[in-house]
Amino acid sequence: MIAVRFHGRGGQGAKTASRILGTAAFLEGFVAQDSPIYGAERRGAPVAAYTRIAREPIRERGLIVHPDLVVVADASLIPDPAARVLEGIDERTVVFINSQMTSEQVHAQSFLPGRLTTLDLTDIALQQFGKRGAISALLGAVAGRFVGLRQESIREAIAQELADLGLSASVIEQNQDVALQCYDAVSTVSVVAGAPQPVGPAKLQTPIYEPPSRGTARISAAANSVLRETGGWRTFRPVLLPDKCNGCWLCFGYCPDGVISMSKDDKPVIDYDHCKGCQICVHECPTDALVAEREKEGGVAWTAR
Amino acid sequence: MWQRETFKKIKQIPREEHVLPGTSLCAGCGGLESLRLAAKVLGDDVVYVNAAGCFTMLATYPFTPFKGSWLYTTMASAPAGAQGVRDALDVLIAKGRLPRNENLKVVVLGGDGSTYDMALSSTSGAIYRGLDFYYFCYDNEAYGNTGMQLSAATPYGARTSTSPCSLQHPSASMQDKKDIFEIWRAHKPPYIATVAPRYPLDLEEKFARAVKFTGPKLFLALSACPTGWLYDPGETPEVAKLAVETGLWPLKEAINGAVIHTYIPKRKPVEDYLRLQGRFRHLFEPTRQDEAIRHIQERVDTYWKLVSG
Repeated sequence: MIAVRFHGRGGQGAKTASRILGTAAFLEGFVAQDSPIYGAERRGAPVAAYTRIAREPIRERGLIVHPDLVVVADASLIPDPAARVLEGIDERTVVFINSQMTSEQVHAQSFLPGRLTTLDLTDIALQQFGKRGAISALLGAVAGRFVGLRQESIREAIAQELADLGLSASVIEQNQDVALQCYDAVSTVSVVAGAPQPVGPAKLQTPIYEPPSRGTARISAAANSVLRETGGWRTFRPVLLPDKCNGCWLCFGYCPDGVISMSKDDKPVIDYDHCKGCQICVHECPTDALVAEREKEGGVAWTAR
Repeated sequence: MWQRETFKKIKQIPREEHVLPGTSLCAGCGGLESLRLAAKVLGDDVVYVNAAGCFTMLATYPFTPFKGSWLYTTMASAPAGAQGVRDALDVLIAKGRLPRNENLKVVVLGGDGSTYDMALSSTSGAIYRGLDFYYFCYDNEAYGNTGMQLSAATPYGARTSTSPCSLQHPSASMQDKKDIFEIWRAHKPPYIATVAPRYPLDLEEKFARAVKFTGPKLFLALSACPTGWLYDPGETPEVAKLAVETGLWPLKEAINGAVIHTYIPKRKPVEDYLRLQGRFRHLFEPTRQDEAIRHIQERVDTYWKLVSG
């Protein structure tokens, strides 16, 4: 059995990628199982999805703790403890990261064990689709290549899964083409199925009762949400061209997260630690003084705090 | 002709933030944008009583974006929670255990699932009892936090995860949006208003005007939703603007029941609004559903015909 774990942020398509991989394997006669896990259905929140592929019936259920292949749609998730990207990765695990960096660069900057390979899917999607969007088909195709599935079955799986999402035929076709381009472009490392993990009997833990005064979560701090930096959600960052800015305050007025403040001379100051990169300010700026720049990955994204 | 008295220029929007960043609400959330602007008028001396919904994500343990208080309730019981908080404040002040100047505003935050469906009964009760509170509904026209299921606020023709476009139901959702404004108005609260995030001065003005009324004060905020309405997050103001400019989302207020429209749009065709969003794409592709589009346009036309008399 091959166990594949996908990590992404809500909206990137990790869940659909897992479905595409499962369906493609099924079309080739394998037994396949896929399931996603997420908290709230939210863009930007960490999402994981699990695909198991085998020749024989799969008895195992639930989360994949010892993956053979890990597909990471967003490198900024790696240091996020809530995303648990590193869980169960060892020397034999193949790790694919959607990143601008090469696998050597990633190795040099991170403590990731496993056999790394990277490809900048976001960039390919931007070039080919001309706008931001989900990269589910691309992730699914890349994962399919790693586990040795054929192009035709991936093409068919993409058609089935994206049609289920209500996408139009032209969009599906475009996705198929770009996905297979990625299938060819990625440098592969062969995925080896790990030794089956011994399964012990589960222990039942009885939760203890606490009265509401103790058992209810309480936060006794004011406005501490700023400790949580949402800047890692961005694919693009808004950048100010000061000469073009007429100081109209519209970007400040429309920013949902309140990360734009106005300086004394009426120029926007952007808090990049928290800006989620929605680009409302870029869309609404009447003088085009705010432009979107592709987020560059650097060493910072890799150090766990 | 309705005129703004307090907020005339965009530079009058208070600089201080009262909903701080770091929440895990979606990038480009129209509901958060409306709340952020509202909080600039409401200030920090507030107890938010939050019904379960997308705004659950405002304060995920152990973080809160508020300097004031936040209390979490089930979807149907936020107005009842507000009653308890209001009563506690009143009793403590009356007994001298809380100084009068430490009084707080009680503000319910509810999504449309809560407001239009589940909490309708407790809201009706709270208005009936004349509870002195604010009700802020962020209306993104579906149960957003659980994956965009149909709610009573979903408009005709919108695709949600429980109202897919199918051969039996080509227009996707078949019901018209419930008119919660009129349901509230029938209860005769002192103040009701609709707001949209693309019209910040209109929004700020309405919250400023509501301060002087004691009793239920209700706000219905159009919360354009990139995640559920399927458009790019950067287009949230554009979508909110077209909702207003097409006449689909009238900006209005009702003081003691008397309705005034605070902005009269020139009324672009509804198609301009529908076309921007993936949830209406089936009305145009693969074949154009003229009948459905006409139905939506006619509803708007009828509404505004009644307004202009």
